[in-house]
This record gives sequence, structure tokens and C-alpha cells, in this order.
Amino acid sequence: MSATTYDQLRVLYRTLLVFATVGVVILSVGLLQFVYFERPGQETGVKAHIVGVFKFDPASSQTAGPDRSEFARSEVFAAVVDWSSLPTNLVVDARWYDTFGSMRGVVGPAHSSDLSGESTIPVEVPDNAKFVLPGRYTFVVERIQDGVPVEVLGRRFVLVDRQ
Amino acid sequence: MIHATTPPAADPASALRPRRYGIAIALAGLVVLALIASSILNYVYLDTIPGRASLYGLLAVALVALGTFILVRAFERDRAMRRKHIIRASVLLGLGVLLWLLVIDVFLYTQSAGPGVAAVCALACLPTTAIGLTVVRRLDRNHKEPWRLVLVAAAWGAIVATSLVVWGETVWETSAQRALVPGPGLDTSLAFMAGTLEELAKGLAVVLLFLVMRNEFDDVVDGIVYGAAVGLGFNFMESVSYMTNVYSIFQPEGVGSVAAGIQWYNRQVLGLFFGHATYTAFIGAGIGIARQLRGRRPKVLAMIAGFVVAIAAHFSWDAWVNVFPIPPTLFGIVAIHLRTLIMTGPFAAALIALLLFGIRYEGQNLADQMRKEAATGRGAILPEEVPVLSSPWHRLRQRMEAFRRAGLRGYFKISRLQTAQLDLAMERWHRERKEIDTPLEAEDELRRRVIHLRHWVAAS
Repeated sequence: MSATTYDQLRVLYRTLLVFATVGVVILSVGLLQFVYFERPGQETGVKAHIVGVFKFDPASSQTAGPDRSEFARSEVFAAVVDWSSLPTNLVVDARWYDTFGSMRGVVGPAHSSDLSGESTIPVEVPDNAKFVLPGRYTFVVERIQDGVPVEVLGRRFVLVDRQ
Repeated sequence: MIHATTPPAADPASALRPRRYGIAIALAGLVVLALIASSILNYVYLDTIPGRASLYGLLAVALVALGTFILVRAFERDRAMRRKHIIRASVLLGLGVLLWLLVIDVFLYTQSAGPGVAAVCALACLPTTAIGLTVVRRLDRNHKEPWRLVLVAAAWGAIVATSLVVWGETVWETSAQRALVPGPGLDTSLAFMAGTLEELAKGLAVVLLFLVMRNEFDDVVDGIVYGAAVGLGFNFMESVSYMTNVYSIFQPEGVGSVAAGIQWYNRQVLGLFFGHATYTAFIGAGIGIARQLRGRRPKVLAMIAGFVVAIAAHFSWDAWVNVFPIPPTLFGIVAIHLRTLIMTGPFAAALIALLLFGIRYEGQNLADQMRKEAATGRGAILPEEVPVLSSPWHRLRQRMEAFRRAGLRGYFKISRLQTAQLDLAMERWHRERKEIDTPLEAEDELRRRVIHLRHWVAAS
């Protein structure tokens, strides 16, 4: 085996190690990003009281019927939050996320005492669409710190049928 | 089983019963156990498999039963026949397992839109995937991989790897959605999930190919080819899954076909090479480099390095794809292409650099071996043939000349002769580097084959 051949293999090997080092840097940046948005030690123990998820009439802005976890695609629904269950000094918001992780409705962020008039948070039908998208929806009440959601104070999952 | 040969194998320490077969069997056993556990958990917790699955699965059950029967009877036969029957049984058992996994895959992925839509989506993805596999196989200019292994690699990516990740990803995703704050933190966690689990499942195929078919796994170029083939198979099944899913979501709005078509373009045109194929090719590159390195530490490091790059590349796309929002304007069409180029382009460029360097390295060494073989005067490779065989373009020109003289028949005859000569050079290269455990008779047999083909070509 010639020295040249041996060196060529080593060049390949070292090049791959350099790429792997870049890979480690990328994964480390990802880890830092995760820690930034999912900060440790943020648990306050506060729980938001989500009264329920109800069928919603956009025309009258009223909820109707019982608390449900599954809806037909043609139905619009809304979560109702009892903001008085939270300390008034907390900055909070409430959001709906659809099955793709896109936000589909939000109130806040504001002090919980300022949100008492917005206890009903309806899910939004996407632009140019007739119905809400099917799949799993997540509703969360979050505590905000420095403009970043740092803790989930309440969470509900809702399934929208495909039919 | 042969334990010693005269003349001895290139590596005198080899007992021709390499430990790698034991590792391969252990890995395959683990895969089977994981698949069984995954199927049971899917059935109990995720979704009950429709009754039709059992019906369509009957063929798989029959194949497994027949394979088991032949396997049991094989041990009642003499040694010569036993091997043949064990191979038959293995093929039947393998087909049965693959078919069963395919049935499960079809139901997991297509029940949302119905089998008709799934079939159309699959048909739309077949030509592009076939083109991808053809291009990938042709990357190895000097020593193309056999189609059967390229297709096995793609089938593993499409069927086994996708089945392996279903349960793990469901558990991870469900737990993360219940525990984490929705938004970038959750997205990052899911990106780690996809990068790690999917690349491990796909990489396992390349590792098994390396362990079981090492004679067809020569170097970094082969690793890239097999890795990309696994990635293309995975991309095929994932494309069918996403296309059927978005079709069922958007069809009530009247744009199901458009949504599925956009998915097809993103995954089967734009992302055909810039995606799973690139990620898993890095795993193959790592294993291919490890195949030729000396010493356990660098071998293990090279393999880990390949996996790390693949996971990082996959992670970066999933975690940061939303950093490049696509505007709902005409510029959005340009933005989609730019996003892929910016995010996956650097990884693809790095892979192409490894590939080009690997082709050059392989080509120089094959040329060196051809010169040495020609110098022996045994007649398998003649000195005047070395410059032609060393260049893919010169080889093509020689085949085209044969085509002009004797048509397709002449073309293929010359092609077979060139392939046999390159096989011989490759065998010599591995033997010189002590990277092979077949006996020297194998090399002599290759030489005899070349000479036989030369007479056959000359006679026509």
C-alpha cells in the first residue's frame, strides 16, 4: 500500500470528522434553543382552570352545549377559561394550535385580570377555508416571561374528525 | 464451513466465519423483536388494524409458514442440499416479513384517504423514485452496485425503517405535546425525534448491508450509493403518507389534489435528493470509510461521524424550516426553492465533495491494480487495456464502438468483459489492503472468468 493511497483515505476520514464536528455544533445549537424556550426551573405550581371546550356560534359569539373533546369538521368550537383562577400579577395568554402546529386563535398576552372580558377563545377557521382543519388541536394557557411563553398553566386536546 | 484455505485468505487471521455475521444476526433479531413489539403496541394503543389487513396478510403468513417448513426440513438433508434449502427458506421468510410490513404500512398510511387515493399517490411517486435510484446507482462510475442490493436497500427504507419509527415517534410526540410549551421548544424536541429515530432506523439498513454483503460494499462510494437508496425508499413511503394525509385534509375545501401535488413536488422533485437521500448517504459514507480503515477506534469513529452528520442535517431541516416562511405570493415559488437550497444545499455539497473524492480515490487505486495485473502477464488485463479501463468515458467509447460493429449484443459483451476486469481489479485492491476474507481462489476464479469472456468476445 502506497503512502499516497493511505493519505487519501485519511483525508476522507478527517473530512468526515470535520463534517461531524459541524454536526455536533448544529445539534448543540438545537439543544441551546430547546433550553431557551423550555427553561428549566420555571414551574410556579399555578394551574389555570379551563372550564371546557364548547361548540361556538361565531355570529352570536356564544358557546353552547356540553364540554366536549371531539368535534365534527363543520363545527366551530371555543375554549372557556376562568381567568380569576390565576394570580393577577401573572402575564399570560391562551392559544389554539392546529394539527400542523400553526396558531389558530389567541388572546393576550396580558395580566390575567385584564383578560376577564375574553374568557371565550374560539378556534379560527384558516383564511380561504370553509371549515377548521381536521386533526388534533391543542389549547394552552401559558405564562409569559420576557415575551416568551415559559410555562403551560393549563392544556386541553381536542380532536376534529376528518368527515 | 471452511476454516482454513490453501492458499490462505488475504487476512490470515480470518477464519472465514466472520464475527460480523453474528453481529448481523443479533441486529436482525433486535429489529424483528422491535417490529413485533411495535406492531402489538400499535394495535393496542394507536389503531386497530382493519380486518382487511388480516386478509391481505394471509399471503405473508403463508410465505412465513412455507419458509419455516422448508427450514425445518433442511436439517434432515445432506450438507450440500441443506445450504440450498436454507437459502430458499430465508428468501421466503424475508418476503413474508416484508409483505406483512407492507400491509401494515398501507393501512397505517392510507386509511385516511382510501386505497384509491393512496394508489394514485404511490403511482405518482414511483417514476421519480425509480429515476432517483437509477441516478444514485450510476454515481459509482467504476463499479456499479447490483440492482438487487440497491432495491433491497430502498425496500428497507420504505418498509422496515418506516415501520420501526412509527411507535417511537408516536410515544415521543405524544409525551412532548403533553409536557412541553407549544412553539419553538416543542418543534426542536420533535426535530431531535425525527433526526435521531429516522436516521437510526435507516442507518441500520446500511449497517446490515455492510455486515452481510461486505463483498459488495467496497468503499465510501458504495456506502453513499446504499445510504442514498435507503433514503429514497424512506422518502417514497413518507411522500405517499403525506400526500394521502393532506389530500384527506384539504379535499373538503376542494383543493385536495392541489395540496397532494404540492407535497409531491416538494418531496419527489425538489427534495428527492435534497432530503432523506442526502442524510442517509452520510451514514453510508461513514460506514464506507470505516470499511477501509485499520483499527477499531477509527472504524467506530467514522461510523459515528456518519450518523452524527445525518442526524444533524435532518434535525436542522425539521427545526429551522420555519425560519424561512414562504410568502403567499408569486415569490413564494422562488422562496420554496431557495429554502431547500440554503438549508439542505450545504449538506448536499459536502456529500458531493466526499463522493467526488471517493470516486477519484477508487479510480486511482483500480488503475494501479490494473497496471499491476497487466504486469503479471496472465492475460486477464492487457497493458494496452489499462488506459481504457481506467476511464469511464473511454470504456463507454469502447462499448459504443462494439455497438457499431455488432449491435446491442456486442455492446453487452464488451460491457460484461469490462465489468469482470474491474471486479478483478477491485478484488486485488481489497486483497492488497487485507480487507477481504475470501480465499485467493476467488481471485483466480475472477481471472479465469475474464479470460473466458475475452475468448467469448473475440469469437463473436
